[in-house]
Amino acid sequence: MSTTATAAELPPAVGSPPAAPPDLGPCPSPAAPNSRKLESGPSRQWAHRGAHHAAAPKSGFAASSTSSLRGELRLRVAERAGRSVAVQQFHQGALRVLRPHYLDESGQVCYVVVNPGGAYLGADLYVVDVEVEAGASLLLTTQSATKIYRTPGSFAEQRMTIRLGEGAELELAPDQLIAYREASYRQDTHITVHPTSSLVMAEVITPGWSPDGASFKYKELRLRNEIQVEGDDGAALLALDNLLIRPPLGDVTGMGFMEGYSHLGSLVVVDPRVDQALADELHRLTAGYEAYSGLSLTRTLAGTTGLVLRSLSNSTEELNRLLGACTGLLRERWYGRAPLNLRKY
Amino acid sequence: MSSYQLALQQLCDSALPTGAFAHSLGFETYIDRGVVADEESFGVWLAAFVGQQLTYSDGLGIRFLYEGVGVGELDAHLSAQLLPRQLREASTKMGGRLIEIGTEVFPSAELEAYRAMVATGQAAGHQPLAFAVVARSLGVPFEEALAAYLFAAVTSLTQNAVRAIPLGQNSGQRLLRKAHDGVAAAVEHVQHLGWDDFGAVSPGLEISQMRHEWQRARMFMS
Repeated sequence: MSTTATAAELPPAVGSPPAAPPDLGPCPSPAAPNSRKLESGPSRQWAHRGAHHAAAPKSGFAASSTSSLRGELRLRVAERAGRSVAVQQFHQGALRVLRPHYLDESGQVCYVVVNPGGAYLGADLYVVDVEVEAGASLLLTTQSATKIYRTPGSFAEQRMTIRLGEGAELELAPDQLIAYREASYRQDTHITVHPTSSLVMAEVITPGWSPDGASFKYKELRLRNEIQVEGDDGAALLALDNLLIRPPLGDVTGMGFMEGYSHLGSLVVVDPRVDQALADELHRLTAGYEAYSGLSLTRTLAGTTGLVLRSLSNSTEELNRLLGACTGLLRERWYGRAPLNLRKY
Repeated sequence: MSSYQLALQQLCDSALPTGAFAHSLGFETYIDRGVVADEESFGVWLAAFVGQQLTYSDGLGIRFLYEGVGVGELDAHLSAQLLPRQLREASTKMGGRLIEIGTEVFPSAELEAYRAMVATGQAAGHQPLAFAVVARSLGVPFEEALAAYLFAAVTSLTQNAVRAIPLGQNSGQRLLRKAHDGVAAAVEHVQHLGWDDFGAVSPGLEISQMRHEWQRARMFMS
């Protein structure tokens, strides 16, 4: 597998970017994998996760207490003299980051996440915790596609917590997600932004892969993004982007679901500069691609607004072009940066 | 006769003036594309809408309210998870009317509390929650309330489709009859879902609801 080979060639000290302070060792880890911000909500009443799914006969999942922490990554980026640098970095198990790049002169730091194991398997739990401090800018991407293999009787899971400070920026641009036959995967992302933060996240989901070439042979994909805005009186929920695809429960390919397309792309933007004029402009932009797309604005909270774009198409490349055009427009307009071309790095 | 029967019928009557006649909740986009053009194709859309949107969003919201989750918490979730703007506005427009009507004819402390939250901007006032607050205060059992709500939604959408496509009145009645099984399945399905399922919607329905914002000729507000 190519990812494994690539990972084996990595220099051993991938952890320490030259620009960062020397102390990047493991930070105290009081937070067990199960402790999450969600607990303030009604989830308490459903004995969060494992329990209510155990009670749901159709889900067929094992309780998440059987999950084992396969990889953990923590990254805290701050602004130092006009450049964004990691001020805290910790990884263990099958997740790590490559040396940081600076793609341009804007001071934005780019980290590439690698999973040297190459794939997610049953009961694997990955925990990612990212904080971008006030005024800092981070571009976070992956080295290769996220591949979910068979997860008999359980599911692979990624829990991601993201916190953006005042005026902080995060661009999240992972490679596409591929779920293989009989795979179940949950990706739970909790994002807290300041009203002045800027968040751009793009994602592509493929129809998966099976030995006989058939699509949608995976069991379940669940990608849930919860975005809170930190206001004067605590955090409030701005957007809940909850995608659930369960091919065994019924045909997901036709009208009212995938509309005959195979691939799904999503773009989520949260920024005080998001407005209807931007939505109109992105809507016009999407018309030039071989894709069926829609976008809309979220409500406005504490002066910031979200924009969610969904797009159906028949290829990863077309969706990457479309999402790249949208994020390229934002990069140009808001920061004077060139469009992303990560593959050259 | 149960104490709530006539009240529930009044609440679910398609003549209840909530403005449901003005909303396609996304199917007008399918008509515009020529994908929904007759009884059969509208039936496919309606089944998807009942099985996805009405199950994972409205239906689960009603269940959670019956189970005692605070209406404010659920209201905030609906505002956050109804990502297409016109869908969100449809829910709060019809919800606002339902709260007004309920305050006139089926007042209760719970409804008054929700009305006050909406009046002070602490809540947006979503249709399924307004319905659930009133139905619960009338003593309607959960399953009956949910089935009535879903079938009322199916009825107004079908009436709108009969006008918009257009379809014959008998077509409309056949569609409603065929929707019985989907509604019954949704009532069952809602009871097996969990908190993480709340607000899960299909990308196709959502994109169509979003695209409606830019559609040129429109009969409906959503």
